[in-house]
Amino acid sequence: MGCDRIADEGLQADKVDVLYGEADVEARARLEAHLRSCAACREEMSGLAGLRRDLRAWRRPAARPTLADRGLVVPHWLAAAALVVLGLGATLGTLGYVSLRGSLSAQEARAEELDRRHREAVAALQAAVARPPAPQGADAAALRASLDARIDERLRATEARQGERLELRLADWEERLEAQRRIDMARVAAGLSYLDGRHGQQLARTNELVGYVLEASQKR
Amino acid sequence: MGRSDEELVEACQAGESSAFDLLVARWEDRIRGACYRFLGSEEEARDVAQEAFLKAYRAIGGFKREARFSSWLYQIATNLCRDRLRRRRTRATVSLEEMEETGGAIAETRPRADERLLQDDLARVVRRAIEALAEEQREVLILKEYEGLTFLEIAQALDVPVSTVKTRLYRGLGQLRQRLEREGVRSAAPVPVPAP
Repeated sequence: MGCDRIADEGLQADKVDVLYGEADVEARARLEAHLRSCAACREEMSGLAGLRRDLRAWRRPAARPTLADRGLVVPHWLAAAALVVLGLGATLGTLGYVSLRGSLSAQEARAEELDRRHREAVAALQAAVARPPAPQGADAAALRASLDARIDERLRATEARQGERLELRLADWEERLEAQRRIDMARVAAGLSYLDGRHGQQLARTNELVGYVLEASQKR
Repeated sequence: MGRSDEELVEACQAGESSAFDLLVARWEDRIRGACYRFLGSEEEARDVAQEAFLKAYRAIGGFKREARFSSWLYQIATNLCRDRLRRRRTRATVSLEEMEETGGAIAETRPRADERLLQDDLARVVRRAIEALAEEQREVLILKEYEGLTFLEIAQALDVPVSTVKTRLYRGLGQLRQRLEREGVRSAAPVPVPAP
């Protein structure tokens, strides 16, 4: 048997108020009074309470970390700008990496070249160390004689050069001495001339005085 | 003791933008949850929730504080979800199974395998039944059943009278019950009302 108030919106409101715990005392009393006499509504309320329990089966997926956890709200344009900056950074990073790789390659080539030269120098030294031993006997005497002759020749050449240098220096000194001698002679001559001049003036004055004396005596 | 929503809103309107971060931290999960129920996709829900907070941030200067901040926030999110659902309807119909991929039940108490299977089945049936409701009934049901808003808050969020909210909920529950019974789910629970 159905309820004759099934379309009563007031009763409907009381039902949802009670179902969700928002009914005041009056609403609860009204509904209780109705349910005591209405089996259909009792069955309906029981079914709705069970329905609410079934509705809890639908749950949200596990929550993921969100921006709100950090107290941030990022607008789309900011996210796009961040992507652009990231892209630019990645490009610069790539270019820098390529450039660095090029520089490293050049350095590696230079290092290899130096290493190659070093190996060649070491090989040459090893070859020099591994030369055959010096000759023995007559060959050695001839070699020593040859060496002595070369040393004598070098010594003579050195003495000749030293002799030439010594002569040149002596000639130079002689020139300097001659020049100094001339200078000194000139200075002496100049000094004598001055003395001669002074002496001549003195003599002239003496003669003049003598002349005055003679003249005075003659007058007397 | 943290500041109330009203105090944080007032601070935002006074230029303290960091106060909005606190509001986001407080409400982001619940708004995202509601969006997930409306849209059936966690990814979309995250986008829409973020968009809702952006809209709220831009408009908070004009918020009159006649309604609660949370109701206003739910209103923005609900409108954005409605737009999404409308756009989705005009495009290709989204497969329900596809939507359910991200909507599996997460058991908090680790039920046994057979229980989990039954629970997953029930969750799928419930979800289909809710999806089949009229939009206005679904909104009310989600905001009440899953988000725990009061009738007054729902009325403010949807900008309808409280009586309308109750009527929509009552009808939505009735339809859900019928659908679930058709799917073979028939359960009852004791009601705290004395028998005659």
